[in-house]
Amino acid sequence: MSALATAIFLVLFVVAAGVGTMIALVRGARHVRERRRARRAARPRRTLLAFAADGGDAERDELVRLPARDWRAVEPTVLELLAKVRGEARTALAEVFIRRGLVSRARRDLRRRGPVRRARAAGVLGSLGHRSAVPELCRLLLDPNPDVRVAAVHSLGRIADPAAAGPLLASLAAPNPAPSQLVAHSLIQLGPAAVPALVAALEEPTPLVRMTALDAVRLLGATVAEPEVAAVLRDDPSLEVRLRAVATLGRIGTRATMPHLLTACEPEQPAQLRAAAARALGELGVVAAVAPLQALLSSPDYRTGHEAAGALLRLGAGGAAALAEAATGTDRAAGHAREVLALADLQREYAESIPQWPAGVAQGA
Amino acid sequence: MTSVLVAEDDADVRDLVVFKLEQSGYEVHAVEDGPEALAAAKQHLPDVAVLDISMPGMSGLDVCRMLRADPATARMLIVMLTARAQETDVDKGFTAGADDYIVKPFSPRELVTRLHALQARARR
Repeated sequence: MSALATAIFLVLFVVAAGVGTMIALVRGARHVRERRRARRAARPRRTLLAFAADGGDAERDELVRLPARDWRAVEPTVLELLAKVRGEARTALAEVFIRRGLVSRARRDLRRRGPVRRARAAGVLGSLGHRSAVPELCRLLLDPNPDVRVAAVHSLGRIADPAAAGPLLASLAAPNPAPSQLVAHSLIQLGPAAVPALVAALEEPTPLVRMTALDAVRLLGATVAEPEVAAVLRDDPSLEVRLRAVATLGRIGTRATMPHLLTACEPEQPAQLRAAAARALGELGVVAAVAPLQALLSSPDYRTGHEAAGALLRLGAGGAAALAEAATGTDRAAGHAREVLALADLQREYAESIPQWPAGVAQGA
Repeated sequence: MTSVLVAEDDADVRDLVVFKLEQSGYEVHAVEDGPEALAAAKQHLPDVAVLDISMPGMSGLDVCRMLRADPATARMLIVMLTARAQETDVDKGFTAGADDYIVKPFSPRELVTRLHALQARARR
């Protein structure tokens, strides 16, 4: 090996060894910090669990008086538990936060320069379900830092004040919004009271706002929004939004929805929309859809025929009979019918192989 | 003394449930995954099992089914304690053989009340 190559090799070796050593040292230091924190948290954690289990005054006072360092060690556990318990246990834990002055401090921290403190404060207020912080958290939806925006979205969902629905949706129209799935999840947590804001958002100019509103309507099962969602399916300029509207109608729709879905299945509609509408007809569960779906089995578009076959399977005996009839043929419709019937047979065999507790048998009998 | 098996991979929830049950007079065995839950159930034959659904190794639903399928553990009272709250999840829990289904966030006090009620019904 030439001298140059040897020198290069040695330099690279030293660099690699140095980087490896630094990684090991950082990891070691983190491990030592974690163990130290766990040791410091051990006793207050026992007090915390006793308090969460029973809400006793002695444990509450001990937690309120904990030195700041010990509280910092156990605070992550408190915040975790706040999300996992309800009733007296949750109220008791929230009271400890209030009596330690942490709620006031969190509200002040929402305006701090450092994004970590702002995000952390938003998280604490969300965990505590502090409604009076909603306006300030809504302002953080437009924070320049993405982690702060995400923390605000999460917290508004946990607080579940329907007044946050409008700001959550509006934030999606801003540059670099929080991920829309997170916003949708928080909107769902606001519950049915958020539906008026969701319906209003169906007319917003930003497609992402309309799509997220539709997702939330679908997941909330807000049947009351059916007329507005049908209008979106009919008139929205964006195919993506119309696809979401179709999926939503499949979930929330009633018998009155069927004509809108059948219109979406017509030949002049985009192929993706026709396939989605066929699928939604199956989810709708209206037996009157059997005949139109049977006709769609012969669609020249594979996806539409495939979804129509799947939809027929969901329509009970009428759908199954239509599939069985189609399966006797030799055309495209027969292929789709046979495919879905064979898959259903395999799924049934698998389901029968799993031991089931017999329904209606009394325990201990 | 009534014995309870608690199977929960979340350490904070597990320790809280154990604390509450012991405070309420139960003898508690705690594990953190599905295979351990099955082994502990067969070893200790507890009166009640409190099972999380999402656990490493084996889900609480599978543990429940296997306990019901084994004559030695078929009569054990089983309570699912889980964050899975959809109707289909609840349906799966009872179909698997659970006697009760509690959704997180949960109330520790309510958990104990439900265990008392289940035992009272089982004794009748």
